[in-house]
Amino acid sequence: MIENGINRRDFLKVMGWGGAAVALAGCGNTSVQDGKEIVTSYASLDLPEYAIPGISVYFNSTCAQCDAGCNIAGRVREGRVLKLEGNPASPINRGKTCGLGQAGVQAHYNPDRVRQPLLRTGGKTEELAWDKAFALINEKVGGAKGNEVAFLTGGLSGHAKVLFTNYMDALGSKSHYVYEAVAPSVVRAANKKAYGVEMPRLHIDKARVVVSFGADFLGAWVSPVHFSQQYAQFRKGSNGQRGVLVQIESKMTLTGANADRWLAVRPGTEGIVALGVIHALGEAGMSLPADVAALSKAYDAERVSKDTGVSAEQIKKLATLLKERTPSLVIAGSAAEGYAHGSQNAAAIALLNRVLGNIGKTIDAPATVPFPQVAVETGKRSALEALSGSMAGGAVKVLFTYAANPVYSAPAALKFKENLGKVPFKVAFAHFMDETAQEADLVLPLDSAMEEWGTVVPEYMPETAQLNIRQPLMERLHTETRGVGDIMLALLKQSRPNDYKDFDDFYAYLRNAILKNKAALGGAGTDDDTFWMETLSKGIAPMGTAMGKLAATPAASGLSLPAPAEADSAYPLRLIPYVTPNLRDGRHANQPWLQESPDPLTTIVWDTWVEMHPSTAAKLGVVEGDIVEVSSRSGTVQAQAYIFPGIHPDAISMPLGNGHTSMGRWANGVGVNTFALLDQVVDKDTGELALNETQVKVSKTGKRVIVVKDEGFAGGSQAGKKIAVRTSTDKVELTGEV
Amino acid sequence: MSVSNMLENWKNFRHMHPVDDAPHAEYKWAMSIDLDACTGCNACTVACYAENNLPVVGKDKFNAGQQMHWMRIERYWDEDKRDFPDQGAQFLPMMCQHCEAAPCETVCPAGATNHTADGLNSQVYNRCIGSRYCSANCPFKVRYFNWYDYPTTDNVWPAEMTEQLNPDVTVRGKGVMEKCTFCVQRLERAKNNARTEGRLVKDGEVQTACQQACPTNAISFGNLVEPESKVAKQWAHQQVELAREGQAKDEQEGGSKLRGYRIFEELRAYPSVMYLERVRESAI
Amino acid sequence: MHRLLSLFILLAGIFANASVHAADAPPSITTADDLGPVIEQPIEFPHNRHAGLHNPADDADPSKPATGGMEINCMYCHTYARRSMVSGIPPLRKCIGCHQSLPSVRETPRIKKLFEYWDAQKAIPWKKVHDLPDFVRFNHERHIQRFVFAQGKPVQEACGYCHGDVKTMTVARRQKPLSMGWCVSCHEKDHPVDATGTKTSHGPNDCWQCHK
Repeated sequence: MIENGINRRDFLKVMGWGGAAVALAGCGNTSVQDGKEIVTSYASLDLPEYAIPGISVYFNSTCAQCDAGCNIAGRVREGRVLKLEGNPASPINRGKTCGLGQAGVQAHYNPDRVRQPLLRTGGKTEELAWDKAFALINEKVGGAKGNEVAFLTGGLSGHAKVLFTNYMDALGSKSHYVYEAVAPSVVRAANKKAYGVEMPRLHIDKARVVVSFGADFLGAWVSPVHFSQQYAQFRKGSNGQRGVLVQIESKMTLTGANADRWLAVRPGTEGIVALGVIHALGEAGMSLPADVAALSKAYDAERVSKDTGVSAEQIKKLATLLKERTPSLVIAGSAAEGYAHGSQNAAAIALLNRVLGNIGKTIDAPATVPFPQVAVETGKRSALEALSGSMAGGAVKVLFTYAANPVYSAPAALKFKENLGKVPFKVAFAHFMDETAQEADLVLPLDSAMEEWGTVVPEYMPETAQLNIRQPLMERLHTETRGVGDIMLALLKQSRPNDYKDFDDFYAYLRNAILKNKAALGGAGTDDDTFWMETLSKGIAPMGTAMGKLAATPAASGLSLPAPAEADSAYPLRLIPYVTPNLRDGRHANQPWLQESPDPLTTIVWDTWVEMHPSTAAKLGVVEGDIVEVSSRSGTVQAQAYIFPGIHPDAISMPLGNGHTSMGRWANGVGVNTFALLDQVVDKDTGELALNETQVKVSKTGKRVIVVKDEGFAGGSQAGKKIAVRTSTDKVELTGEV
Repeated sequence: MSVSNMLENWKNFRHMHPVDDAPHAEYKWAMSIDLDACTGCNACTVACYAENNLPVVGKDKFNAGQQMHWMRIERYWDEDKRDFPDQGAQFLPMMCQHCEAAPCETVCPAGATNHTADGLNSQVYNRCIGSRYCSANCPFKVRYFNWYDYPTTDNVWPAEMTEQLNPDVTVRGKGVMEKCTFCVQRLERAKNNARTEGRLVKDGEVQTACQQACPTNAISFGNLVEPESKVAKQWAHQQVELAREGQAKDEQEGGSKLRGYRIFEELRAYPSVMYLERVRESAI
Repeated sequence: MHRLLSLFILLAGIFANASVHAADAPPSITTADDLGPVIEQPIEFPHNRHAGLHNPADDADPSKPATGGMEINCMYCHTYARRSMVSGIPPLRKCIGCHQSLPSVRETPRIKKLFEYWDAQKAIPWKKVHDLPDFVRFNHERHIQRFVFAQGKPVQEACGYCHGDVKTMTVARRQKPLSMGWCVSCHEKDHPVDATGTKTSHGPNDCWQCHK
């Protein structure tokens, strides 16, 4: 945004107070004290016209708190970023943010960030200069061949991905493991089979009924802020025709808590419910395609009710509603996919969309990214199993990790940490000294998302393809951190000096890469400087209007659902790990706002808990606050019990994200790590870890604590007062509302 | 004077417009929150932490009821003992309701909480002596007391974190009460800009932090004096009047089909926040 | 009941009165007591030479050092006052912008010091003269907009309401008490709001104007 001879970094430098005192410690400085404070201005800098002390400037950038890639606007004042807002021009979040996004500034200002390249040898840690670190890497990769240099990253997109790819090419390595601990990877594969695309566009706002099988699209699923926007529109509907949401899952998610009807389903039988609804639709007179009719014939409401615990009446009611109100939309989410037959569940759910004629109406093809090299490569949980195997076999000599914390999130059965020890040289790109960085030989400190340059192509793009720009919102807090793009460029310069000699830094590379494709990015006919400044000021570059096609139709062939699993006598309960909107896979655990922000459903803060249904708790003799021991075949943890009505009695649920041993002052020692309980059971079709397939037993330890929560001691009773009021559609007149 | 006499002459004691009973001239800031749109996601509460320099108190102090969230999401279940809450939960964003006849104001021994000409319930930190009477008298329990000196407490704002503090908002020290201000720093800035241009603040020109973050646009905020503002239209459509302790629409036979209501209206505090009832489908 | 109530009112009244006297002794605008301390600055910036009134006698012999000022507008240096809460300390470049083409004073001790800072590219650590407690937010823009732009008052007069007669000072020194009672003494009076002076109003008196 700032060129014309003014150094942008200079502008983003923390300005002297410039007369604008920050009001710290309101009551500490309470009197007029002439001559005590020092006020300075800039020595060398002429501030641009719009940079006025005391007045904020907004810079557009891209949120890095999750993979949704929301476009944000950072409020910058006196050279410091103070707050993040949504970019109103964004098709994704339309000016809005979630709580997680708001806390982005705490990732940036976090006092526990890694500040220096660190070399760790034999339990000793020493600070290292960057050139020495790069030389060391060069030496180590020089001593390894091809695939012996492996890369473990989170989901990657944009120009950083290009540099990763190029670096791997330069080294002749194809060992790129893309890993996301809680991504909807089974649903992606099932979607690919059913619709021909991994992540179709969903039009919740156009649907009159949405049936979600455990997709927490308002909380933590794919692109929650965008879906929340759609949801608001869906609830308003057109002409007072309010949309109806039915959520079918075993543990109530935030989305479930907002449903018109929440159906507790026996864990793993989501697909059976879907076929039951198809059957009921046929009964109600809807014509079913022959293959679907044949498959669903056996799933009459009574049988389905017996298998799933959802009443026959409820299934018929749902079918009637779906038949009467079109279009509708059926979504398969993480609850349905987390089983050994997760793909089959998702396929059965997709059939429902075909029967209801939603495909092409409320399910649509996503945009085509014209530059596949920057398109997102999403992570898989199976990548970890593959990497762990290679490491165990000694096939990995050098391992780079970036945006992934597998030592924390790997299931115990993979013995990931142990296998990681067999890799002679491990390089971690890290913001925090997390569990994985703790095991690394070389730790490279990263810039925060508020300091680095970059581009992001989100997986879920609601309109046409867009290239999101990430730009510094302020000067580096710590001089020795680097952007991931700059690190990769420096590494490439060592391997292919000639190809990259023109680029001083990643900024120069990025600018060149974008200007080279100016015409395709909506800049035909504008001069370079103008286009670059416009792109930075918008924070989004359009990548054409080409849309993909839904190349497949959900088919009934090959689909078979297992009978509901019988309870395991040794481990009678099923563990449903809960991806909370705040902590997700645990990378945000050191952001105190998120720890102190109550979980929406339980209102618990700063801890992990074990949710159980009142009837389960009564059977076990457990009351709220009892410390219970939860054991699976893979691990044992102790945590406080919370009695929660929104869960199937056959299951218990524990949130993911806490229980860190190494991350920072706010994360360490808070709660327990639910990942440590997970059994290594995979979805049969895709090989992805089935998150809900862990069987556990629960026993009381005799210890008890007070559950620290926001709902108060009355457990959130309204005591008969008119506080949070609910009405129903037949008692309310919605037309004409403002 | 007897209590019954006092109740009969209530109007002499509780004023709809506390300043000389004159109606608001230019601004009366008010809010409306659509509980059908609210998903309970907590974006508003975190945005409030970011905007208003709220301290993070940690688990122990949270347990002692010393949390400082100016805005909280209350979660309620149905209380009819069904097996499952099969119509979901009830979420309610709760913050200072900026009552027109605020119970907190009348009990402050120091005059630290007052009514402004714009219809806000102000809290003046440098005047507050920490008696906490206001909090005791608040029916909504939205006032938060600084039991500790958070700026000097470990791990509340360690060095780098102070850089994030909003310079427009005072960081409170030990012993003072605080609460939601309707983001008065944003209101004052908008008014200042409007006054420089010789006009009034336009509808939508100023957003509170919670409203700006809310992913479902459940929160509207604006000037109730301006009849064309969204908030004024919403209040008018829902037939909720500021100066009533019971709305006419609720007195009609069969009740009202409109969903606007205010919490604890019967206490005659005249809150400036209207909620719209959550709706659930009756056909499923 | 009635008597008890009146007793309470009486007591409250006494208490309130006492506190008023303690905190708000009648504001006096400029007395010797209100003068702030002399503050040593890194460079003794002569406000009088820059903002002071021009002395026509100086025109007679341009080779002699001037005795009057140059009548530079306060907002030439404190440029943000009209559009921001804060008036701003001028960046060093602003000083250099003029002084690099003023060879006549280039070798004077103060200007030499100025160029030392410039050569080192270091900001001058000025000491704050008009300090307010951190919970007070004085808005320069509002006052300048009202008095200078809406009402057409001379800039030096408008700034002088709070900063005193800076154009006669060398290093600025606080002349007004800058206490709340002093602020209110002005805010409670009716003042004309436009150039014609027909419409009057007083300044805002709600606490949140300054304390938030």
